[in-house]
Amino acid sequence: MPAIVSPGDLDKKQIFLILATPGNIRQRNIDLIRDISANGYHTIIVTINFPYNILSKLYAENGVDLKTVSFIDAVTRNSIGSAENVPGVVRFVNNPANLTDLGIAVTEVLKENSGKKVCILYDSVSTMLIYLSSQNISKFIHFVTNKLRLSDISGVFLAVEKGLDPMLMSQLTTFVDTVIDTG
Amino acid sequence: MTDNDRTGCIEAGILENALVMIAVLEKSGKIVAWNHAAETITGYPKDEVVGDTSVWKKLYPDAEYRNSVTARIAAILKEKNYFENFETTITTRSGESRIILWNTKEISGSGKKRVVTAGLDITKQKELDAFRESIVENANVLITVLGRNGEVLLWNTAAEEITGYLRAEAVGGREIWKRLYPDPAYRKSVTKKIVEIISSHRYFENLNTSVTTKTGETRIISWNTREIGSGTGRLAIAIGRDITEQKKAEEALVAYMTEMTMRMKQPVEIIRDNLRDVAGLMREGKITTEEAAMMLDGQVRNATQIAANVQEFQKAIAGKNQSIPEAYRKFLEGD
Repeated sequence: MPAIVSPGDLDKKQIFLILATPGNIRQRNIDLIRDISANGYHTIIVTINFPYNILSKLYAENGVDLKTVSFIDAVTRNSIGSAENVPGVVRFVNNPANLTDLGIAVTEVLKENSGKKVCILYDSVSTMLIYLSSQNISKFIHFVTNKLRLSDISGVFLAVEKGLDPMLMSQLTTFVDTVIDTG
Repeated sequence: MTDNDRTGCIEAGILENALVMIAVLEKSGKIVAWNHAAETITGYPKDEVVGDTSVWKKLYPDAEYRNSVTARIAAILKEKNYFENFETTITTRSGESRIILWNTKEISGSGKKRVVTAGLDITKQKELDAFRESIVENANVLITVLGRNGEVLLWNTAAEEITGYLRAEAVGGREIWKRLYPDPAYRKSVTKKIVEIISSHRYFENLNTSVTTKTGETRIISWNTREIGSGTGRLAIAIGRDITEQKKAEEALVAYMTEMTMRMKQPVEIIRDNLRDVAGLMREGKITTEEAAMMLDGQVRNATQIAANVQEFQKAIAGKNQSIPEAYRKFLEGD
C-alpha cells in the first residue's frame, strides 16, 4: 500500500489534513504512524479519542517502534481521573476542552524532542468537536499550524470525512498545505 | 318666453344645481347670487348672504387670516382680473373648517361688471392626500416613486433613515442609485436583473439587493415595485424592506444548526465506532478488562458532553424564538 504522506512532502515540512471514513480512522492513524516512523521521524501523537496505553499497544502490534513516538493524551485523565506523566513517553492533559493546557503540552513535548526530525499528529479534529465549538477548533488549529511553520515541523490532522461543515472545512483547508481523502 | 329668457333660466338652473359652490359678486364684494352648493358647504342660506358682504367675515373669522387672504387676492388681481386654483380655508356656520379651491371669472351684463366665483370643496381630497402622505411618511419601509427615467420623485422618511440620504439628496435625479450601489460591477448586475424582470413582468417582487448607506454600512433591501398612473404619466413606486437583521438571523440560525449537527451527529457516530472497536478488541483479546472499562468510561464521558451540548442547543433555540409556548420552552430549557 502506498504511503499516505510521501517522504518528500514530510521533508518539505508540509502540514496535512487527512480525511477517513469513521470505520477507517483508527487504522489510518496506525498507517500514518508506521509511514512517518519509517521515514526516520519522531511522531508526537495528540490523542483525543483513544487512550495512550491502548494506542501504544495497537502501534506495537502493527510494528511501530514505540521509541519513535510520544503521546499527549487528553483522554485518560478525563476518563479515570488521574495518570502520571512519563517523561519522553506521555504527557497527560486533564480535559480536551482545555486548549491552553493542550498548547502548553505541545510546546513542551516539542522542546523535549528538539533536534529530532519531528512530525505531530492530531487524532482527531472530529473528536475535538465533542468538546469545542468549530470556532475554537479553528482558532486552535490556526495557532498550532503557525507554531509548526515557525518551528519548521511537519503536522497531520486527522478528521472523519464529510463530518466538518463547509465553513470549518474551508478554514482548515487554508491552514494546511494538503488535504488527502483516504476513504 | 324669449330665447334670452330661456337661456337665462338654463344658466340659473346650472348655477343653482352645480356641485361646486358658486357666488356671483359685485366689484365691491357684495353677493348677488349664492347657489345651493354654497349654502350646503358654508351652512349660510342665500337670504342671509345675498345683497351683503358680511359673509366673508363669517367665512374668515380670524382677522389675521382674513387679511392675508385679502392681500393675496389683491396681489393676484393686480396682475390679472381673475384667479385660478386659489386655496383658502373657510369656517362654516357650524364652526367646521373646509378647504376651498377658488376660480373666478369676470363677466359683464346689463352694463355691470360682476365676478363669478366657483369654489370647489377639496377638504376630503386634502384629507385623503394628507392621509396618504402620512402613510408614506410613517411607513417603516423605504418608499420611493420613480419617474420614467428612474429619477426619484418621492423619498420617504424610512428611506432617509435606512440609507442615511436625505430627501434633498435623493429627489430630482438618479444620482442616488450610484451612491447606493457604488461598485460599478454590482450596480451593473442589479440594473441588468431589474431590466430583465421589468421587460417580462413590468414589476418585480422580493428582489434582494445590498445597498451601501451614507455611513458605508451594507444593508440588504427586499424590493417590490408597482406601476402607478397611466400613459405618459406612468410612474413606478418602489417599496424596499430592510431585511438585514432578518438575513443575519437566518444566517445565524443556519450556522447554529450546522454547528450543532456537526457537534451531535458526528460525535454520536464516533461513540458508536469506538464502542464497536472496544467490542472488537475485547473479542480479539487485545485489551484487558481494565483497558476496556477505561475505553467505555471515555465513551460515557463523550456521551455526557454531547448531552450537555444538546441542552445548550435547546436553550439557545428557546432563547432565540420567543413564540415557543411556555410549556415547550420549559421543556427545551430543561426546567
